[in-house]
Amino acid sequence: MSAPPLVPARMPVADVIRVGGHGLRSRPLRVFLSALGIAIGIAAMVGVMGISASSTHELDRRLDSFGTNLLTVTAEEESHLPTTAVSMIGALPDVDSVSAVGRTGVRVYRNDHIPAERTGGIVVYAARTDLPTVAGARTVAGSWLTEAHTAYPAVVLGWTAARSLAVYETGPDQLVWLGGRWFTVVGILAPNDLLTDLDYGAFVGWPVAERELGFDGYPTTVYTRPQQSAVTAVQPLLGAAANPENPGEATVSRPSEVLKAQLETRRTLNALLLGLGAVALLVGGIGVANTMVISVLERRSEIGLRRSLGATRGQIRTQFLAEALLLSLLGGAGGVALGIGITAAFAATQGWAAVVPPWAMAGGVAATLLIGGLAGFYPAVRAARLPPTEALANP
Amino acid sequence: MTTPVVELSGVSKRYGDVLALDDADLRIDRGELLAVVGPSGSGKSTLLHIMGTLDRPTTGTLHIDGYDVGALSDRELSVLRARTIGFVFQQFHLARGVPAIDIVADGLLYSGRPRGFRRQAAERALHRVGLGHRMRHLPHQLSGGEQQRVAIARAVLGGPPLLMADEPTGALDSQSGETVMALLRDLNDAGTTVVVITHDRDIAASLPRQVRLKDGKIISGVRA
Repeated sequence: MSAPPLVPARMPVADVIRVGGHGLRSRPLRVFLSALGIAIGIAAMVGVMGISASSTHELDRRLDSFGTNLLTVTAEEESHLPTTAVSMIGALPDVDSVSAVGRTGVRVYRNDHIPAERTGGIVVYAARTDLPTVAGARTVAGSWLTEAHTAYPAVVLGWTAARSLAVYETGPDQLVWLGGRWFTVVGILAPNDLLTDLDYGAFVGWPVAERELGFDGYPTTVYTRPQQSAVTAVQPLLGAAANPENPGEATVSRPSEVLKAQLETRRTLNALLLGLGAVALLVGGIGVANTMVISVLERRSEIGLRRSLGATRGQIRTQFLAEALLLSLLGGAGGVALGIGITAAFAATQGWAAVVPPWAMAGGVAATLLIGGLAGFYPAVRAARLPPTEALANP
Repeated sequence: MTTPVVELSGVSKRYGDVLALDDADLRIDRGELLAVVGPSGSGKSTLLHIMGTLDRPTTGTLHIDGYDVGALSDRELSVLRARTIGFVFQQFHLARGVPAIDIVADGLLYSGRPRGFRRQAAERALHRVGLGHRMRHLPHQLSGGEQQRVAIARAVLGGPPLLMADEPTGALDSQSGETVMALLRDLNDAGTTVVVITHDRDIAASLPRQVRLKDGKIISGVRA
């Protein structure tokens, strides 16, 4: 009778997980602390990515709401554009809308007792009634200047201007001292990241500015929206259209590019923070490796017993590797949850929508598996190499 | 004639300068119940490790259940242990915090049997060693004798032809020790070959065959 071949039976995955899990259950505190190390690293990384994604999402949302096709033409300081600028730009092909403001020489104060030099950096502009549509401005209180307002002393304040004048609501009793007479605040603008100049502005109607404030009637900034597809074609034409005599004196810019630059800056910072998260993760991985090395030393007799029960070296290696993977996976899952929590909390304080990219979560879990595999590999190999007789010898 | 369960010829084991086992010849047939006896340092443990395929001889050949151990890889030896040899140790080696039934079921963990099968077998094995009422107990809730019976149930779970017991009563009081020895005799009656390694001459004398070791040599009980 020939003897049957000696082929090891495959261990089902469920058994591998159960045996690995048992090793963890018997040392809960140490497992918790090692997993915590991993969790902190993963939470840092997921948090950074989540906060970054949330803020990008927010910027994108703003870009969407303002549109990226807004172009501005600004006269140099102490200078102005010709009165024809608006109509000339409006006549360019593919230009959908045009509006303008003109800087006046007057100042605005909370009341008539404020010393003249305390201007708060607020600039008084004559503004066209179609400015909000073109510039993408909206009011948080009251409304923008209507045709009915423009001949009367009514003013709309930019967000920052309203704050510094301590004006929080609109109405007939909300008066500010503007150009030597009282103006009624009829509207307050929402903050505008695309056009921060508007935040520091006080806007009055064009006719009333000319009549009451000594305004010369020249625009200083023209806002225009060409069709999205024509933005790059229109942009180079604007300087000449606005000021045919001195095209170089007008500055043409595309405000959405400033926001995009902000995004880029943020990405650089994120790379740095991600690097820090990676260091935390590495330290966590070393913690796992340490735990596993100690575990192998402490469990020599268990290893010996398992070898005597018929475990192959490979099965012992698999057991300890599974244990290390489970341990770091535990930390990874905790870390991802923690990272989501951090993102949600931070987004809530900023008034953003919390966005955690799925690839960040998947990446976090994959990173823990990689760390667990690397950290568990050496201890697992050591455990597998332990001769059974040595493992069974009483300590 | 059937193949012997264990057959050593000219087996020596050297650890550095120490000759732990010197030219040992031994044949153990199926269904035997024997003691390997000798003072400490006589080479009992070395003989157990070699017969249990936990260690390899330096010279000589060893056959277990018809397999030439020298020709087998470490993997194949592991399978041979899983199928053929049950071990019982002086220190029981029971996992802390694990109920008796799961400890016993681990006796077949490396056999490829599904978990349900292993647990059913463990239940039967625990009944067989008289611990049917202790299935859910944890090791620290069991007496020393009960713990050793759990270890025996684990060792014989897969019905191995050979059971090696290393000082199975060494950590027990005499009454528990007798229960354990009675259990080993029962298993032998049911067909298992049982090798008991002991330094206790009384226990050795109570078994049908004694192999005596001294200074690494088998001095009696070889049987031609």
